[in-house]
Amino acid sequence: MITLTQLIQSLVTGVGVGLIYGLVGIGFCVIYNASGIVNFAQGVFVMLGGMICHAILSKFGMPMLLAALLSIPIVAISGILIEVLVVRPMWNRGAALFAIILATLATQIMIERITILTLGDQPRSFPEFTLGGPLKIGDIAIGYQYFWIMGCGALMVGLLWLFFTRTTMGRALRACSQNRESAALLGIPVSRMLMVSFALSAALGAVAGILVTPTQFTAYNVGTPFGVNGFIAAIIGGFGNAAGALAGGILLGILQALAIVIFGAGFKNVAALTVLLLVLFIFPSGIFAGLKGKSH
Amino acid sequence: MSASPTMNASVAKSLLSVKNVTMKFGGLVANDDISFEVAEGSIHAVIGPNGAGKTTLFNVISGFFPPTSGAVEFDSQPITGLPQHAIAQAGLVRTYQLVQLFKDLTVAENVRVGFHRVTKGGIAAALFRPGWAKAQEADLTRRTAELLNFVGLTAQAEMKAEVLPYGQQRLLEVARALAAEPKLLLLDEPAAGLNVQETDQLAATIEKLSARGVTVLLVEHDMSLVMRVARRISVIDFGRKIAEGTPAEIKTNPDVLAAYLGGTETDA
Amino acid sequence: MTSPSITSTRSLLRTLAPVAVVLTVMGIALMSSGYVVTVIGFAAIYGIFCTGLNFFMGYTGQASFGQNAFACLGGYGSAILCGGLYWDPLPAFFVSMAFSGIVAAIIGYPTLKLRGHYLAMATFALGLITYEISIEWVSLTQGYMGYSGIPPLGVGKFELVSEKHQLIALTVILLVGIWISTRLRDSRFGRALRAIAGSEPAAQALGVNVARYKLLAFVIAALYASAAGSLFAHFIGFISPEVFGGAMVVQSFTMLYLGGIGTTWGPAIGALIVSMLPEFLRGLKEMQDIAYAIILVSILIFAPRGVFALIGGWFRPKAKEGDAP
Repeated sequence: MITLTQLIQSLVTGVGVGLIYGLVGIGFCVIYNASGIVNFAQGVFVMLGGMICHAILSKFGMPMLLAALLSIPIVAISGILIEVLVVRPMWNRGAALFAIILATLATQIMIERITILTLGDQPRSFPEFTLGGPLKIGDIAIGYQYFWIMGCGALMVGLLWLFFTRTTMGRALRACSQNRESAALLGIPVSRMLMVSFALSAALGAVAGILVTPTQFTAYNVGTPFGVNGFIAAIIGGFGNAAGALAGGILLGILQALAIVIFGAGFKNVAALTVLLLVLFIFPSGIFAGLKGKSH
Repeated sequence: MSASPTMNASVAKSLLSVKNVTMKFGGLVANDDISFEVAEGSIHAVIGPNGAGKTTLFNVISGFFPPTSGAVEFDSQPITGLPQHAIAQAGLVRTYQLVQLFKDLTVAENVRVGFHRVTKGGIAAALFRPGWAKAQEADLTRRTAELLNFVGLTAQAEMKAEVLPYGQQRLLEVARALAAEPKLLLLDEPAAGLNVQETDQLAATIEKLSARGVTVLLVEHDMSLVMRVARRISVIDFGRKIAEGTPAEIKTNPDVLAAYLGGTETDA
Repeated sequence: MTSPSITSTRSLLRTLAPVAVVLTVMGIALMSSGYVVTVIGFAAIYGIFCTGLNFFMGYTGQASFGQNAFACLGGYGSAILCGGLYWDPLPAFFVSMAFSGIVAAIIGYPTLKLRGHYLAMATFALGLITYEISIEWVSLTQGYMGYSGIPPLGVGKFELVSEKHQLIALTVILLVGIWISTRLRDSRFGRALRAIAGSEPAAQALGVNVARYKLLAFVIAALYASAAGSLFAHFIGFISPEVFGGAMVVQSFTMLYLGGIGTTWGPAIGALIVSMLPEFLRGLKEMQDIAYAIILVSILIFAPRGVFALIGGWFRPKAKEGDAP
């Protein structure tokens, strides 16, 4: 039986982890909207964010904030590299959808192996941004890092909103997501938008990875679970809808936190994947089928 | 127009009955209460201006989607709502407006797939190849050659289907559909994209088909083809059937002329 | 009218050449050291896996990113039944296969209704789920550390203790697998599968029950995968979740694309080439997976229909320009 304390506790941690999933989910949406491509290597950005930040912290002893601010552009550049070296050549040749998916999957394995070679295969973590804690309210304990996650998560969503509504580039990206052909006719460089979308979604993943690492750990192989959970978040929210992905992520985070309380931590990924399959089976053409017409 | 029913229609039994078919997509009514019969052995054409709902009607008949209301009967059996492959199995075989060949297969292999409906054999037969399966394959080789000869593609038999010029792809599609020994063959704009000679060859092929006893229902824009081959024509405009009759009757029907007003094709 | 006999001679040659290649490689392996035997044994096992995958992805033109799930079921099935419950390898092999086939049918039925990204993600999830379960269900699978003490292949008291004997068995099974694939390809059944790859609407319009044939191809691929998993368990005597992880997906796709997707011998040839690749990259052991990924991505970009299709394409007759409408 779950006690009320456990319930509230898992709600809080669930919202925190869920925000992370939401950020990854938004990353999926940003690329999908700009190109109709689902980047299966999305989780790799989360892994890279944590690993690179850890490397900078441990090798150069920089302050946390600086290390974080340095790792985000590095990960964004890796996103651009994937776009330029892998996705764009296929995109230009009109490659089949599943071939592009396969290529991004292969890219993920490639990046994981490179990470092992350069940064090692051991799990790593770094301290919470604010030491001390956890904050105790009665029997409920909330690690300080969760406040950072929620704060930064909210900040990212705000910044994204500003980017998409107030900047020329953000508006151009939105135009692409509505109709690529007319966007091209309006003089928007659609292929450069693809690059921007990869950079942006890589940066989002990196932020997620840096934020979440202190609460658990990071290692070369954490990308896949984050990628899959982000994908589920995006599906729940109606693929392509950023706000929906965020809400979907939080919902998924809470569900998982409850599942851990009930079934134990071991099978949380199995539970999430089963949820994924059930959602897909019950809504075989996607929950918001109307969005699909855009991709062709 | 019902004043002078053709002998053909009054004698032959009806192979396909479309009964009060209505198809709505949201608020759009693509087919509005359409009924008609296709007589066995006939060549029946459905014509109408662009966007009149012809292709939707075809898709309803072939089971691509079920109608909002109404029914379709084929060979005296209701087929409304059956999956497409089941309708095909019953003997109603269609072609598509955009050629849908199996591009990586050879021309001959394309036709062999066509025999799927009239042959048997699954995994076990494929593995152990009992005598009847071997005989069946040998028979298919012979019949494939015959069909390719029928549409004039014998020389291309071993080429990949995708390298054929467009007109020959159309003919291959017809040959493949014929392999399924359809009782009723649905041709969706078969002349689309063909030049004059190719259209001529197609018309000849359709007439030869009919002589073989295949009933044909076609949707077509090309009036010269329709007027040449069709025995009976149904005219659709804005989703409704506005006329039906022989080509001669349709040519002089005032409603049809009004619907095609401005169109120059009717006098072809 | 002489052309049929010419084409049949040519097709006979085309059939015999790969057989000769495979037998030669196996023969060389048998005369070599234990290490080469292991490498070629892997190649044979992957060849079986890819020959199955080819049914679903090559002939039928569908995509599954989770076929490793069924290799995992086969591998752990044989490991647990033989290593834990002391079954004979042969019944364990077939029971695992049957189990994988049933799971594939049950899971495939709803999964194969999906399209595009959803299909891709759902199949990918299948592989992930079995991977997670094989790690977490420690009492059954011994978790991360892997399952050891799996006996070699054999029938009753007769065990194929030597690796070379096992390699002969693997080769025979691979050849049988390819023979089945060839037989099924050139039949009513195989033509229906290949028709689906060409055009689902057209196949449907000719009376092919598309959903049923897709499911059959999926189940056949799962049976091959399960067999490959079982054989791996017996050949090495040890399995761990990592063996059937995501890298397996990329590796098998590399083999399939390199050898020629949709051809009968391509998957096995691709498996041979890719398995021997690390021997040419000696000293760069860790780079192996990176090399696979780079090769695969390059093929996907520059020769999306497979390397041999690309080479073959240079010789194929093109449509004459003047014939266009």
